[in-house]
Amino acid sequence: MLKKIVSYGGETRELSLPDLENKLVAAGQKSGLGAEKIKAVAAEAWQTLYENMPEREVDKALTQSAAQHIKDDPNYDKLAAALFLKGIYWEVLGVDSNDDNFSEIYRSGLKKELRAGIDKGWLSSKLQRFDLDKLVALLDSSRDELFTYAGIETLSRRYMMRDEKQKLTEVPQYFWLRVAMGLSWNEEEPDKVAADFYDRMSKLYYISGGSTNVNAGARSPRLSNCFIMEMEDNVDHIGKTVSDVLKLSKATGGIGLAVTKLRASGSPISTNNTFSSGPVPFLHIIDSAIRAISRAGKKMGALCFYMENWHFDFQEYLDLKQNAGDDYRRTRTANTAVYLSDEFMMRVKNDDYWYLFDPQETPDLIDLYGEDFSVRYQKYCHLAEQGEMRVFKKVKALDQFRQMIVSLQASAHPWITFKDTINVRALNNNTGTIYGSNLCTEITLPTNKDNVAVCNLASINLVRHLKEDNGKFNIDWQELEKSVRLAVRQLDNLVDINEPPIIEARNFDSHNRAVGLGVMGLADMFEKFDIAYDSAEAYELSDAVMEFISYQAIDASADLAQERGAYDNFYGSRWSKGFVPLDTVKVLENGRDIGEKSEINVSFRLDWDKLRLKVKQGMRNSTLMAIAPTANIGLVAGTSTGIDPRFAQIFSRNTLGGKHLELNVNLVNKLKKLGLWEKAREDILASYGDISGLDYIPENIKHIYKDSFSVDPQAFVEVASRAQKWVDQAISRNMYLATREIDEVMNVYIKAWEKGLKTTYYLHMKPRHSAEQSTIAVNKSTAIGKTGFGAVAKKAGFGATVVATSAELETAAVPVEAKVEEPVQFKACPTDPQERAQCDSCQ
Amino acid sequence: MILGKPLNEDMNLRPIKYQWAYDLYNQAVANTWFPHEIALGEDLDDWRKMDEDEKQAVSFLMSFFNPGELIVNRTLALGVYPYLKAPEAHLYLAKQMWEEANHCVAFEYVLETFPLDKEKIFAQHLEIPSIKAKEDFIARFLNRMSDTTLDIESLEGKREFVRNLVAYNIVMEGTWFYSGFMVALSFRQKQKLKNFGSMIDWVVRDESLHLKFGINLILTILEENPEIATAEFAEEIKNIVIDGVNLETAYNRDLFPRGILGINADYVNQYVEYVADRRLEELGFEPHFNTVNPAQWMATETDTLELVNFFEAQNTKYEVDNRAHK
Repeated sequence: MLKKIVSYGGETRELSLPDLENKLVAAGQKSGLGAEKIKAVAAEAWQTLYENMPEREVDKALTQSAAQHIKDDPNYDKLAAALFLKGIYWEVLGVDSNDDNFSEIYRSGLKKELRAGIDKGWLSSKLQRFDLDKLVALLDSSRDELFTYAGIETLSRRYMMRDEKQKLTEVPQYFWLRVAMGLSWNEEEPDKVAADFYDRMSKLYYISGGSTNVNAGARSPRLSNCFIMEMEDNVDHIGKTVSDVLKLSKATGGIGLAVTKLRASGSPISTNNTFSSGPVPFLHIIDSAIRAISRAGKKMGALCFYMENWHFDFQEYLDLKQNAGDDYRRTRTANTAVYLSDEFMMRVKNDDYWYLFDPQETPDLIDLYGEDFSVRYQKYCHLAEQGEMRVFKKVKALDQFRQMIVSLQASAHPWITFKDTINVRALNNNTGTIYGSNLCTEITLPTNKDNVAVCNLASINLVRHLKEDNGKFNIDWQELEKSVRLAVRQLDNLVDINEPPIIEARNFDSHNRAVGLGVMGLADMFEKFDIAYDSAEAYELSDAVMEFISYQAIDASADLAQERGAYDNFYGSRWSKGFVPLDTVKVLENGRDIGEKSEINVSFRLDWDKLRLKVKQGMRNSTLMAIAPTANIGLVAGTSTGIDPRFAQIFSRNTLGGKHLELNVNLVNKLKKLGLWEKAREDILASYGDISGLDYIPENIKHIYKDSFSVDPQAFVEVASRAQKWVDQAISRNMYLATREIDEVMNVYIKAWEKGLKTTYYLHMKPRHSAEQSTIAVNKSTAIGKTGFGAVAKKAGFGATVVATSAELETAAVPVEAKVEEPVQFKACPTDPQERAQCDSCQ
Repeated sequence: MILGKPLNEDMNLRPIKYQWAYDLYNQAVANTWFPHEIALGEDLDDWRKMDEDEKQAVSFLMSFFNPGELIVNRTLALGVYPYLKAPEAHLYLAKQMWEEANHCVAFEYVLETFPLDKEKIFAQHLEIPSIKAKEDFIARFLNRMSDTTLDIESLEGKREFVRNLVAYNIVMEGTWFYSGFMVALSFRQKQKLKNFGSMIDWVVRDESLHLKFGINLILTILEENPEIATAEFAEEIKNIVIDGVNLETAYNRDLFPRGILGINADYVNQYVEYVADRRLEELGFEPHFNTVNPAQWMATETDTLELVNFFEAQNTKYEVDNRAHK
């Protein structure tokens, strides 16, 4: 049978199934899948072809057919990635890797692409400073094969350049080289440095933050990922903030916006003797502003509000993310975070009262932190009791904290962050108070009305810095050192090239040169070392790796200061007094009395005294480290994101780029070695990626490969606490909890505060039930033990019928317990029609 | 007996006799969501880039889903609720009816947002024979239920109830809706209509419970009234499901006159047969079609836990009713 398609050239031609199979040959060989399976992929795609289908769509259909089997074997991922790449080659180069002159065409295409980009005004003419012949020779197309399917898909969708018709103009290696060149054109030896940056990134050793990837090399390079600003309590500044939010969002940055200063509802307005409507309506305006900016699907307008919880209108603030109620008093798009003081946390622990004030009456509380805040706050509480405050509210601290946790469970907001830990530990405390964090809770920088804080990010891919020796993994410290130092140089270069869209951001950027180097692949690394996320070994390893990275990053910045000069605000900073991050842990401990022995580990391994002396001489950057969530670049790198545990052994990730399936390849390899993969495959899917109930999988494997909801919650705190010791900014710390007991959840967050976490990020709740699964056998009647028409239809008899108990029903309803029904589903005769064909007793 | 005319003595919730119905009620309450939680702005951008075949598929789905939700509601009100004695079943049905209303309004919200020809969509289900045939099929069973001479205590009355239940729950909600969901979710596979997809996630989650309730109810009735399940009656029920598949097959040919990337009428019909086999097995039958699921990608859509980048996509996993469960 033949089907008509419209080829790339535009002519109609006929296609047979063997023709379609032929399209898979090259990619198929790379995948390691057998011929049978490759043919099956072709046959599935064949089914979906329609009359006069464009060939481009035919190729996409093949990619999709391969991708839908990723759940069955990681080799399908390789096949899908290879096919997807082939599509990119067609789109950009007009040939694929089967072409005899492929390498030549691949290399020579770069110059054309750059030329066109410069001519059309998308790319900077500064790219002409490079000796392109030298750089072109470096392009290594074989590195395109490092990507997973989700990785290459994400890279091409979000980061690679497109022309005005949305046609790709870059293949992956052009992309890496553009970023490398776009961050080195100010160097004295730009070719050499660009080559170094290219080499690191194209091998996935580290990757820049999203905005840098999108805009590096551009004529007006908006390279910053994160902005932090604050809103002053007057209409002019509120208006200006809306305008700034629009400009920053358009320039692809996420925003943290501190709003504690806005006066309370009912607060008098002196100019016209009326009363304020409070912060909520103004926050709603900001929410609409970011929603208006969607940035062509590359990144969305996104913002998080920060408010201290002593604000008079805090209850309304908590309601901003409720899913019911007056839309004008909600912020559907913007996120919310709370900024908690030690004073509050102590009152929670001691079950004391908490007072809410109108910031117009207590303006100094906003700038104060630590001990000074507590003294002043207690003074206001006293005045309130004396009847000397215009307004105040009094609630139990514990009740308010509980409300935050309930809201966190119901609406994923507010994120919980700690004002005093952030400020007391700041090394750049000479430039003012830090009023909040950013969109992803890893940046902690001071702001004022003339300074919008800017941070520039990159993340080290830990698993690419491992050496394998006889199946045993070790960290390649030398390579890691090289990566860290180059990444810091790259980030520092970025500051001079970057053109933030508003003057307040340029101010901050040029005087502080704040950067944030983070990591990704921590959980992946633990698995390669055969250690569990919630184990002492994991805590030690995170501690040691982060210490090393921090040490190298600080050292590299001190070296850059000697080469290029210190950042403008260096003098007066704690760096200038010889402080390193570890020293600020001690300041934190001495400044607060949490009623028991410190919980924060302060051990170290490296020669910090030597570095303290060097740091005193000058630092190039006011901050060095911040661990971002890496939700997208982690996907590009093909590793676990940030310091997150594996969400589940198989799960889907829903991002702006669509939904991707992620299967833990480390686990698959382990199970394949034991000959268990084929047996476990469907069970793992049926149990929603939780292997703990599968009795045939050895305990030591189950111990290491826990899903995020089975990891001991204290491990999220401990891993972050060990890392936070070395990180001068903060960490996007996601939490994953199976429990919904409010008290247990509260204790996790109290522990986070005690252990010195500066911020926490999303709270992921284990879902209690999902939709009916589609691709694996589900039989509700078997699950509840009734036979229905089975008696008459199969002549079995009603004797087997029993009344369903609620426990059995739960089993059918809740993924948590899906494993309980597993004996029915998988040990009995298969009910899946396909499998039934293979079962002797059913024939 | 769950089946029968509810009397005054059936007005006490306690003691709960059908715990499964009460559990489903609580689960449904925890699932509460509202259409306005979904922002469709990006989907509107996608819409502008979609080709005519794709738009036709979406508008066709709307033509069926929008009235479909209301038809289920009418069936529950006239053909199910009045004939059940258990208050816990009434609780669940009340929540389900609100959900059907909510789905209707959700599709309405999509209709208002997308530049769809609303007149055409509202008219389509009355004019296009393949959609009309589906509606007539359901109406036929329902009309018999609302006949005032129906005696629910009689053997024939009970059988009539089961027929109607199978038609709206197993065929309409359990098979037709599922085929529509698969088509709707296929757009997300192509990175299109992602937020619409989130809405469908919620609808599917609700429908999974509706189906659980329906199947539990059928099985309970059969267990309590073994006399109705003769071989002949079983055959009749099986045929209702198979007739439903045939109607859906014709409908899908109109839905996809040509096909779009990844989907065409044969493909969807194969999925319909696969789902129908599953429903037959759940009722205790052997599978009839023995068809393989062509849509393995549904594993990504419905079979796995979902990790959401909160500021990029709607997180559909949070529950409004946390307080109740502490």
